[in-house]
Amino acid sequence: MVAWQSLLNEPAVIAAAVLALGLVVGYLVGRLNEELLSASGVPEAVEGTPFERTAQSIGTSTVEIVARLSSWFIYGIAVLTAIHIAQLLDTDAFWLRVTEFVPQLFIAVLVLILGFIVADKTELIVSEYLRGVKLPEVSVIPKVVKYSVLYVTFIIALGQVGVHVLALLILLTVYAVGIVIVGTVAFKDFLVSSAAGIYLLLNQPYGIGDEIRIGDQTGIVQEVDLFVTKIEDDSEEYIVPNRKVFEDGIVRMRD
Amino acid sequence: MAGLDDVFGDLFASVDAVVLFSPSGSYYEQFMEIEDLDVIVVGTENAVGAETFVELPLEFGNISERIRYGLEGALEQGVIEDGDELACATSVFSDGIDTVSRVRADAETRTGIYDLFVKSRADPEVVKSVLEVAIELGKKGQKGKPVGALFVVGDAGKVMNKSRPLSYNPFEKSHVHVGDPIVNVMLKEFSRLDGAFIISDAGKIVSAYRYLEPSAEGVDIPKGLGARHMAGGAITRDTNAIAIVLSESDGLVRAFKAGELILEVDPEAY
Repeated sequence: MVAWQSLLNEPAVIAAAVLALGLVVGYLVGRLNEELLSASGVPEAVEGTPFERTAQSIGTSTVEIVARLSSWFIYGIAVLTAIHIAQLLDTDAFWLRVTEFVPQLFIAVLVLILGFIVADKTELIVSEYLRGVKLPEVSVIPKVVKYSVLYVTFIIALGQVGVHVLALLILLTVYAVGIVIVGTVAFKDFLVSSAAGIYLLLNQPYGIGDEIRIGDQTGIVQEVDLFVTKIEDDSEEYIVPNRKVFEDGIVRMRD
Repeated sequence: MAGLDDVFGDLFASVDAVVLFSPSGSYYEQFMEIEDLDVIVVGTENAVGAETFVELPLEFGNISERIRYGLEGALEQGVIEDGDELACATSVFSDGIDTVSRVRADAETRTGIYDLFVKSRADPEVVKSVLEVAIELGKKGQKGKPVGALFVVGDAGKVMNKSRPLSYNPFEKSHVHVGDPIVNVMLKEFSRLDGAFIISDAGKIVSAYRYLEPSAEGVDIPKGLGARHMAGGAITRDTNAIAIVLSESDGLVRAFKAGELILEVDPEAY
């Protein structure tokens, strides 16, 4: 009995127990994670992304990688705890740093994986959306979207592990502000037109079949949508931006 | 089986192109591996991502119609020429391709169905949706009873000016488009109303309950069709619209353009 007691107090034994427990829990969490991710439809969501394809080509999959990652995280903690208990190293200073660093590293890697998948996925979606536009230059846009997402991901991941990212953040801000400014300048007319279009669609001051005059153009209304009003006379078809409808006012013709 | 190849080989010997009707992906790839062969895919959608693709507006049940309209579309797009010899592979009994027929492209006997979809004022998608609604309505009727319906598609402004309301317009100040999921039911319900449905180029349902007032002068539609067909045919002569008419008496769906009957389909066949 005493031997039994003293054995239990032996740090090496406790360390071994912790290690074993860690391995089991790590494995179980990994499996649980894999099941959960599969059940929530992650394999379908990531299908076709280059990340998944790379994972497939080395004989694994995104779900497996994430699940393994969580397992390894727990294994790591178990190993560190065991080392600490067994007092193999003089660990106090080291321990403090490691306990702070490991979760951050874990999250950073997770963010990176997630970022790669989201970037690939957005690239796919954007290129799918733009497929109707048959212009070679358009293929740049999905790439830009992809690398923007990746850039943000890297900033988050680097921030997690404590690298100074201020310069990168400033770059990102400049980039975002640039996009917003270019966007507002480029789409100003569209925004104004769509605001007017919403009014026209809701209140319908004129409908299809009415004869109206907008500025110099007189004709029968053929179509009203968010951005433009199409009016048509005997020989000509005018496509009038809704912005102009508000600027010039509408004249309804009575016969 | 060399003997059979000798006999059936004539079917596909020295054809100018192979026309596949709605092939499966692997089937199509087998063809792509053959060198020096023009492959044209025809179907309701380009599921295999083929380079030369001709869209069929409907999955025609009748084989000769399917091939005829497919080839007409291909001629119209310029992927084949008048007089080309073509091996058309399509399915008759099973889901996969099980039939090959040798057809000579003939530009003379064009019916204009391809024009009806692609060269109308209205978007092809809109024409397709309206045709589908009409066919479905013809198949099921309204609560089991056969109904008639008249859809005027495109050039809505002019059509509105050549018609008058029979009663209040149920679609007033609404933003309903054909192809929206609930619309089929709505149109089915409203089909018991008298008069025509008017649909704009972009597919907005502008009005129901319209009495069309075109001048029926010089409209050449087969004798024996009723007032609904006459009105539908005539409005397409006066405007750039097309009319899709479901006959109450014989249950056929007919499409008119420029005052002429262009397409006649039996809803039961789909």
